[in-house]
Amino acid sequence: MAINLKPVDVAVIGLGAAGGVAVLPLARAGLKIAGIEAGTWMDPHSFKPDELHNNVRGLLTSVPKANREVPTVRNSPSGVVRRGSIHPMMNAVGGTSIHYWAQSWRLKVWDFKVRSEVIKRYGAGALPKGSTLEDWPVDYDELEPYYDTIEHEVGVSGKAGNIQGKLDPGGNVFEAPRQREYPMPPLRGSGFTDHMAETAKQLGWHPFRPPAAINSQEYQGRPGCAYHGYCNRGGCHISAKNSTAVTTIPAAMKTKNLTIFDHAQVTRIVAADDGRVAGVTYIKDGREYFQPAKVVLLASYTYENSRLLLLSKSKPYPKGLSNNHGQVGRHYFAHYQSGVSALFPYDINVWYGTPAQAAAVDDWADDNYDHSGLGFIGGTSLQPHTEMHPIEAASMNTFDLAPTWGSAWKSFVRVNAARWVSAYLQTSTFPYEDIYLDLDSEVKDPLGDPVCRVTSLLKDNERLACEYGQKKMQEWFQAAGAVSTARAPIGPPGVSTHAYGGTRMGDNPETHVVDRWGFSHEAPNLGVLGASVMGTSGARNPTQTSQALAWRTAEHLVKSWKSIAG
Amino acid sequence: MPEHDQESPRLSRRSLIAGAALVPVAALTSAVPAPAAPAGAQTVFSPSERRTLEAFVGRLVPSDELGPGALECGAINYIEQALAGALADEKASFLQGLAEVDTYARKVQDAGFAELPPEKRDGIIAAMEQGTAANFPNARAVFARFRRLTLEGMFSDPYYGGNTDFRGWEVIRYPGPRVAVAPEDQQMKVAIQPYRRSALGANNGH
Repeated sequence: MAINLKPVDVAVIGLGAAGGVAVLPLARAGLKIAGIEAGTWMDPHSFKPDELHNNVRGLLTSVPKANREVPTVRNSPSGVVRRGSIHPMMNAVGGTSIHYWAQSWRLKVWDFKVRSEVIKRYGAGALPKGSTLEDWPVDYDELEPYYDTIEHEVGVSGKAGNIQGKLDPGGNVFEAPRQREYPMPPLRGSGFTDHMAETAKQLGWHPFRPPAAINSQEYQGRPGCAYHGYCNRGGCHISAKNSTAVTTIPAAMKTKNLTIFDHAQVTRIVAADDGRVAGVTYIKDGREYFQPAKVVLLASYTYENSRLLLLSKSKPYPKGLSNNHGQVGRHYFAHYQSGVSALFPYDINVWYGTPAQAAAVDDWADDNYDHSGLGFIGGTSLQPHTEMHPIEAASMNTFDLAPTWGSAWKSFVRVNAARWVSAYLQTSTFPYEDIYLDLDSEVKDPLGDPVCRVTSLLKDNERLACEYGQKKMQEWFQAAGAVSTARAPIGPPGVSTHAYGGTRMGDNPETHVVDRWGFSHEAPNLGVLGASVMGTSGARNPTQTSQALAWRTAEHLVKSWKSIAG
Repeated sequence: MPEHDQESPRLSRRSLIAGAALVPVAALTSAVPAPAAPAGAQTVFSPSERRTLEAFVGRLVPSDELGPGALECGAINYIEQALAGALADEKASFLQGLAEVDTYARKVQDAGFAELPPEKRDGIIAAMEQGTAANFPNARAVFARFRRLTLEGMFSDPYYGGNTDFRGWEVIRYPGPRVAVAPEDQQMKVAIQPYRRSALGANNGH
């Protein structure tokens, strides 16, 4: 029998990038919150510049829960199912925002209305075949104040390229208009990224330093970045990376309205017979608890959001919570992997830094160029960046210039380990009819619950868009003096850190899981946070948009407390 | 707290430049990390298995006029410790791979792998890499895994038993983990002064 706990106003499932942000406006409004987190606090003293621990073995997590629930992937509806190697979800207070790259982007105006904009500019025939692409129920202008709030509450470094319509070539001239400058200047450049930016200018492109939730200088009492080169999948030893564990969660705790239940693994969201959610059950130290709540906010991760809903079956929801219209898990999509690497004839020394220390170019992203006749829509952001670890460096592509072992290999890496780099490319990705999440029919976690299954197919639109972006990146590297470049093969994405959809936001209760505010159309006191509500990805990392949406959902809950909490 | 007096004056100056005076932690602890060897590391390989592995790894990255190879960089020690600890689940399949290499050598060269001259061993490794080794169906996977663990042993933090005296990092000119990095250590076409410290140590381990 579950142990019944004292009721709270709001139970938040998962204190990561999204849940960790939502708790702050709720706590400030005086609501009593139970933050239910499978992991626990991590000590910044445990964050080491250790490639083996962070990157090779992937051990930076406070509990191994996620790795018992790694989703499976198949590349056709009847294809072979394989287990992902690692779960992108991290269990800790702060979640994945502890070890992410902290690139903190707004989406563009175009990203919110891709469907109508494409039809207007290129005709309906240009829409990707089989896609379920639609305009968002909110537009950029509606989300702008929340982006602004996140940038200041969490702390984002950057240089504005468009303040209220006034363009500044010192920033990204393709960005959507913002009400004011970033709270901190951008991260510094490195010799290599400055060189790439200079080259881009010579090509007539518009380079800029990308925004990051990393302090470029002291902010809110925490220091600026030390650029030590172990940011990717590593926690920040000086708390210069603005994870929710060092920003919004501690701020919410100061109000005394947030209680964190750690090491608490949520197993079900419980619904009453009237269709409203009543609370959540979780397991801690082998015992089962029931946390009653007037409102539940689900903020686990894209894969786990859909999974937990599908697992939470009840009388009013026989196919899973909020799934009476069969929409949970649909309209899922993820960014493709499409990096480009390059070899230079001299040391470029990208060892140190952080992946957000980059030269970014948006000239080939979004709809910033004419796509007539190209056969695809969407585009690619290009980002050559710093941070290279020794095992990674030695595992370099030899660009067909050397064998992969022996004395000739050693001689090659001795010269070239400091001379190569990989650029990060992100391409707009869209939802399709036959790409979705559901529960695996065979693979289960140790509790006996099926893991999430990803059905992921290679789509022509995305493949062509990725290849176009890769060619632009090669052109850029070659202009910068690279002697060789190599493109990563384009395949359907596997289990991804940039996973979107499954609980898509929209106005139609029959085709959308959540409404324009992020609340379930079926269970009115259930909200969903995270990239699972997003309908397009842009060519952007998802975190800041998830956080802006999470803040907005929480603020809506505060304003509409009586009608939502009942 | 770590020992600040072990830091070089150079690092301390740069730490100040980078604002790291605010930093409560200097993660880089010790030039000679305490051994992390799990119990049983020395018994992972039988003497003949060890000879086969040394004969293989020594050809993957040989010692030559450019400097030490994988053996001199402690790759075997790393692999042993890993298979006795973090990678214990993999031990059986790793040993199976070693046995298959030896069986293949006896079949095509009529001698154990470790008894073959370097060029014959190279021929076997090349056949494994290319997937042309007859009746050795997982040869490519065995090659890839041996190579991968050799690289981990050469280039991971010495805390894990390899990268002896930072020789692996010297091979690829990796300047070493620092607590804070100054702009001049992020420039192109410069030789960055190496900083040879382990990021881990007896009091900061796992």
